[in-house]
Amino acid sequence: MKPMLPQSFQTSALSEVCVPTAAGRLSARVIRPAIVTAARPLIVLHGISRNAERLAELFRPEAERSGRLIVVPHFDAARWTHFQRPCRAARPDQALIGLIEHLAAAHPELDGAVDLFGHSGGAQLAHRTAMLYPQRFGTLHLAAAGWYCLPDTRMPYPYGLGTRATDPAAAAWLRRKRATLAAYLGRETHIYVGTDDTARDPALRKTRPLDRVQGRTRRDRAHAYRAAFEDAARAAGITPRVTLTELPGCAHDVEQAIATAGLAARVVRGRDS
Amino acid sequence: MIPRHTDTVPADAKWTFATRRVPRDAVTGLAPDVAAAQAGDLVLAHVAEIGQHRRVQLPSGRPSEIYPGDAIVLACGARYAPDQFEGLAEIDPAGADLLAGGGCIGRMVSRNERVRPATRLIPAARLLGADGGALNLRDFALPARPDAGTLPVIAVLGTAMNSGKTLATAQTALGLRRAGWRVAALKGTGTGAFGDYNEYSDTGAHVVADFTDAGMVTTYREPLDRVRAGIESLLGHAAAQGCDIAVIEIADGLFQRETAQIIADPWFRGRISGLVFACGDAVAAAGGVAELARHGLRPDAITGMVSCSPMASAEAETATGIPVLRKSDLADPAEANAMALRAGARWPRAA
Repeated sequence: MKPMLPQSFQTSALSEVCVPTAAGRLSARVIRPAIVTAARPLIVLHGISRNAERLAELFRPEAERSGRLIVVPHFDAARWTHFQRPCRAARPDQALIGLIEHLAAAHPELDGAVDLFGHSGGAQLAHRTAMLYPQRFGTLHLAAAGWYCLPDTRMPYPYGLGTRATDPAAAAWLRRKRATLAAYLGRETHIYVGTDDTARDPALRKTRPLDRVQGRTRRDRAHAYRAAFEDAARAAGITPRVTLTELPGCAHDVEQAIATAGLAARVVRGRDS
Repeated sequence: MIPRHTDTVPADAKWTFATRRVPRDAVTGLAPDVAAAQAGDLVLAHVAEIGQHRRVQLPSGRPSEIYPGDAIVLACGARYAPDQFEGLAEIDPAGADLLAGGGCIGRMVSRNERVRPATRLIPAARLLGADGGALNLRDFALPARPDAGTLPVIAVLGTAMNSGKTLATAQTALGLRRAGWRVAALKGTGTGAFGDYNEYSDTGAHVVADFTDAGMVTTYREPLDRVRAGIESLLGHAAAQGCDIAVIEIADGLFQRETAQIIADPWFRGRISGLVFACGDAVAAAGGVAELARHGLRPDAITGMVSCSPMASAEAETATGIPVLRKSDLADPAEANAMALRAGARWPRAA
């Protein structure tokens, strides 16, 4: 029996912080309900529109309804040209972990595992960061990622964990992700994608191998990733805990997904709005 | 200068880093029979002639210039330092040697040609405690903790002094801290000095300790049982302080007396869950890895001076099949996190 949740039983405080990390400065909005429950805090990662402010507005009512602390980082364009994946040019993963560590001093709830949500480019960063630091995260919510780092060797890094002799720089990332793969595959993971997220728009990465293995659209790729995740988990002797939810009538638009398909409520409260 | 004769430790005496755990008021008297000093006993001495060491290290973490006539409180101990001295824990009342700036007094038996003779000291007295016995560092050690539980341990070994072990230990601790682990940076063997200790502390490691915290000014020429107990005591301390993982440096090269005993000890093989090997070049990497293999050990990573050169790193990787990590790799939280999980570290605040 599900507990009854009032629509809103409290208020929240929203604060903005800018945290210096070893990977660079990262700002964030912190939504702290007046009464914080024992539920894990949630980190919300924006996509290439960098709409952190809007996401904070959209997730704030859910923080108040659930009593969950929510942090919405903002990878601003000036400092974070690259933020979708850790690479030589930028280490958003390190900044994200540094942000959580820094905020934990003021918000002890962040000292434990946190849940992680990302949309589009944010979903790319979310699953790649969780692959590197799986123990730091509880449940992953990956919405409409353009492409993935598959947890198998069918594609060379960064599309998967396969090797490519011509890319020695990938060796370090492969070493790290292979070492943490089993822990990653044990995470509870929810994948979301709009039923209409099928456009091959300019922001979608398109290469022949990527199209062939992961699919031609975000919708196809979400399905491919779920299948790959399940197969890799089973191969590792882990019972996969991965779901895929298609958001009816939604294209590649997080605001639409929240407004019409209750995405924020699904993520924060684990239920339909 | 003729040293002052005294019945008490002069108020202006410079207590050295090796004596940092000893409260000043623990001293109740002095005994002039300095020749009776044993390893770890506290000794009051006066500076006679400045040699290799022009400074001593203070418990505050800063060096202090020393001048003839200065009173110093040190610990009697041996020294293993191929680039400086070999010394024994013996004190000749007529004159002794400052074997290490961290506060080790003893008798030098050999020195590297490239360094000056040891700074000479005139020993004045052994320090006595309330029971009339000699004050010894072991009396002020961390409580013995024979069982550190399942605390994962990443050991750092190397080919020799100055092969990069301390840097590797510190940078690994830094990477682990950045990944969010509560980490202990420990030095299991060696001779007491604040350089390594400070380098560890600067990383923000949650616990920093060395063999002096386990009651030894040096582990050189100490019985293996005692060195092992000291390491277990440090690991137990780290676990008791809530650390998730420990990085421990084992000093000097693989052929050094105590290090060779440790790596040959099945207890060590069973106790560590990760291993980093520091060396200077590809040949040293191959040799070190082969020597470790003889004892059933295989490093997870090679580092040290060899890692500064991409060419040398490639040669070492080809020769050993083991990745060569630069200091920036060790300090990388993603790399360190992978090491931690490989070592069996468990996130205590897990989902």
